[in-house]
Amino acid sequence: MIVIEFFLTLFIASIAAGVLGSIVGIGGGLIVIPILTLFLGVDIHYAIGASIVSIIATSSGAAATYVKDRITNLRIGMFLETGTTTGAIIGAAIAAYLNATILETIFGTILIISLVPLIRKIGEEYPPRQELKGLAKKLNLRGNYTERDGRKIKYDATNPGKGLAGMLVAGLISGLLGIGSGTFKVLSMDLAMKLPMKVSTTTSNFMIGVTAAASAGIYFARGDVNPLITAPVALGILIGASLGARVLVNAKNTAVRKIFALVLAASAIEMIIRALGF
Amino acid sequence: MNNILGIVLRSGVVLSGVTITIGTILFIANHSLDDTSAYLAYNPGLIPHGNFPVSLASIISGLLSLDPSSIIQLGLLILLATPVARVALSLFLFAAEKDRMFVYLTAAVLAILLFSMLVTPLIPLFNG
Repeated sequence: MIVIEFFLTLFIASIAAGVLGSIVGIGGGLIVIPILTLFLGVDIHYAIGASIVSIIATSSGAAATYVKDRITNLRIGMFLETGTTTGAIIGAAIAAYLNATILETIFGTILIISLVPLIRKIGEEYPPRQELKGLAKKLNLRGNYTERDGRKIKYDATNPGKGLAGMLVAGLISGLLGIGSGTFKVLSMDLAMKLPMKVSTTTSNFMIGVTAAASAGIYFARGDVNPLITAPVALGILIGASLGARVLVNAKNTAVRKIFALVLAASAIEMIIRALGF
Repeated sequence: MNNILGIVLRSGVVLSGVTITIGTILFIANHSLDDTSAYLAYNPGLIPHGNFPVSLASIISGLLSLDPSSIIQLGLLILLATPVARVALSLFLFAAEKDRMFVYLTAAVLAILLFSMLVTPLIPLFNG
């Protein structure tokens, strides 16, 4: 394949990855990695290096809009980020001693099982108001955002302990498999902490960028971030994520959860297929 | 303060995007019809694994000769720094709100982040 064809293919696929990722709170790896390895014949190490950059591009590309609209919950994100970054470092340190195939099978299975509680609340636009208590009260894990029609939506977090444990696992998986594990972060916030779906995906969008930055130094120094592969990915994702962010702020929570459920299923299947060695 | 955060994020993203675009245009201008295989070679035995600059010194010297890969790497480094800037600014945000608990939490996240970005690449355990 010639350079210009390679660049344009990656650039266009990355715009799509950026739109989707910024809406559902995940990095672009789900789309970028198979395009690179299956269609463009790129080595998996370079594909993972490009994926790490794509996660940061999705996060930062959408962030400006989410910060302006005050939809990301920085307090909840920062509290949970202590778990993901710790998990990511431990994961990166023990990665060499664990079998990636078994991990991918386990993680893929967990994602498929979690579709059940997700589908059970698929029509829920806003979580029922709940009493802020315990650690959530101490840390004041509540918030509000304004919908485009002017309604102010208030919400309170429950089960911060379960959420934090979920994030430690999400961080471990990121460090072990070199993926963003945004799906797991959104699941923890949606199912355990019971936040409105858009708050979950935009807070995950903040968190995946920070977690990916933590491991980016290692990938960059090793030479897994190939500039000629990563440039079209980063540019496409930045454009896609800023478009996707505009879609999200106007979207309904139920619509976002439906798209997320599809992405979750695709992501679980992709992981299991990879584990089985196809 | 929230507005400052937005402005910093936006300028970081724009600066990075513009830098990567310049590097990409320079590269395509001279190599658009080349076969990609030469640029995609991955050498598991070598660090770095490919034929492009990864150290700060080699990126800077590449910039002086307008080497497209070095310009792209600079743009990528700016992009990688945006989440760090975001956490660092959040520290000031919580300090301004006199929210001591969250100043500690954010400082912990920033410390872990800087440790793993700057220190772990030097530790063999993390380079398997």
